[in-house]
Amino acid sequence: MIETQKLTKSYGKDRGIIDLNLKIESGEIFGFIGPNGAGKSTTIRTLLGLIFPTSGSGSIFGLDIVKNTKDIKKQIGYMPAEVNYYYKMDVKELLDYSADFYDMDCRSRIEELADIFALDLDRKILDLSRGNQKKVAILQSLIHQPKLLILDEPTTGLDPLMRAKFFDILREENSRGTTIFFSSHTLSEVQKLCRRVGIIKEGRIIAVEDIETLRKKQLRIVQIEFPHTVKNDEIDCPGVIDPSANLNSLNFMFSGEMDTLLKALAEKEIKDLIIEEPTLEEIFMHYYEDKSEEERD
Amino acid sequence: MLNKNIYLRELKHHRTSLIIWGLSLIVLIWLDMAFYPILMKDDFMSQISVLFENPFLKGLMSAFGATLDGFTNVLGFYTARNTMFILLLGSFFSILLAGKILSQEEHEKTAEFLLTKPVTRFEVVWSKMAAFFSLLLTLNIVILITGFISIEIFKGDSEYRLAAFLIHTFYCFLLMLTFGAVGLFLSLWIKRGRPTTNISIGIILGGYFIDAASKITPALDKIGYLSPFKFVDSSVLSPDYGLMWWRLLYFLGISLLLFTLTFIIYKKKDILI
Repeated sequence: MIETQKLTKSYGKDRGIIDLNLKIESGEIFGFIGPNGAGKSTTIRTLLGLIFPTSGSGSIFGLDIVKNTKDIKKQIGYMPAEVNYYYKMDVKELLDYSADFYDMDCRSRIEELADIFALDLDRKILDLSRGNQKKVAILQSLIHQPKLLILDEPTTGLDPLMRAKFFDILREENSRGTTIFFSSHTLSEVQKLCRRVGIIKEGRIIAVEDIETLRKKQLRIVQIEFPHTVKNDEIDCPGVIDPSANLNSLNFMFSGEMDTLLKALAEKEIKDLIIEEPTLEEIFMHYYEDKSEEERD
Repeated sequence: MLNKNIYLRELKHHRTSLIIWGLSLIVLIWLDMAFYPILMKDDFMSQISVLFENPFLKGLMSAFGATLDGFTNVLGFYTARNTMFILLLGSFFSILLAGKILSQEEHEKTAEFLLTKPVTRFEVVWSKMAAFFSLLLTLNIVILITGFISIEIFKGDSEYRLAAFLIHTFYCFLLMLTFGAVGLFLSLWIKRGRPTTNISIGIILGGYFIDAASKITPALDKIGYLSPFKFVDSSVLSPDYGLMWWRLLYFLGISLLLFTLTFIIYKKKDILI
């Protein structure tokens, strides 16, 4: 569906994206994760032909992103991170303007979606709150029933209720076969929706993983409370990562044989013990730090 | 080629501006022509002929294209008096409109919306250029009709050649078109589509004063050709007044060149938002 080969974009001195290789399958929901400024928006804008690659190439639906951009965009719905629309228009005018670019009648879909998101079509864009502008962007990206949705940090500014509705709509679209490219800086958000994630950092893809694989890295968060004050090296056991002691308690991440850890703990006097599965965020942070340390070496 | 959707939106978006500029020109032309019968009555001209005897004032008057003979003929009067309004206001309208019709999308960041729709860059430029051309043409038709009617109403006994009036109006249109091409081309180079208002006004006023100076002092005659205003032929009373190929070539050549460059540059331009 989307494929890039060594896609590179640099703006003068600034790093944009470097040698990006991505392959997104038809029908999947792909999470594109990275901190602000990592190159997520640059990637998306290059894919959409707003900016042109410095080198490398990319294709969507098998069509070249530079040469066939018009044909590609017929089948794409795009939702930008920052919503900037013609502020003098009212919502209906903007959606009609948007719909007129596609050869189909979108009126019933506009009504239907406006209902779901409780969006007043007669308001001026200028008078809308950020959250409501975001809703207009959601509608605008969906009304022409695209085959591919490209969403750039789509949930910022949406309240939890709308976020839930939005995710329902995305699942529904996906079950109809729509491929979704979901860019975000929060992994926990993406983990609800995506099957695979690509992690981008400083313009480079550092990993593409199944969400399940990430989970199965067997990373655990361990919190132990002792009857006495402890130091960082209280537990001597392979697999203990980043131990941090604070008076009577010791926290660390653990990635190793659980049996070994329990045997090591059995020798100690312990008041309380919590072992839990980390959120993807924590796995990701951990994973991330490792990668950047490797790079530094 | 032409995206109807973009074209119609631009017409709608700029119609208020067109109406304001159009009405201003109608009022100015009309009020000014209403003076013509007053000046012709009571032998007023013989009184102001003193003005033309003073060398300094004569020069000043000629800077605005006025000569004593010219003033007494209705078309001469129309050209001498109204050319300033028409050329200046029309050129401002043109350069300002063209300067924002494309770049405003970047400045207001709506380019991200527009350019992610199924349109090519070529279609965007072409549709916007067509809208600009339609708006400018409409303004010029308004000028033509107002000019014609006001001349007919206020001319009294004075005779004039209709062809000369039409040709002069056409020259004015070509000048505005050329400034439009300059404005559009200029807007491509301003980062993130910031307005080109100041530099545009500078270009028009600069051009106007260079032309005016060249008319006052014969020594500056050649320098006048730096200004597009110089290429508008206002000698409407001359018997062989007509369209001159080198003037047409100048206006159409510059416009065509800049419009073509606009297509080429915008096609490859990174839209930064």
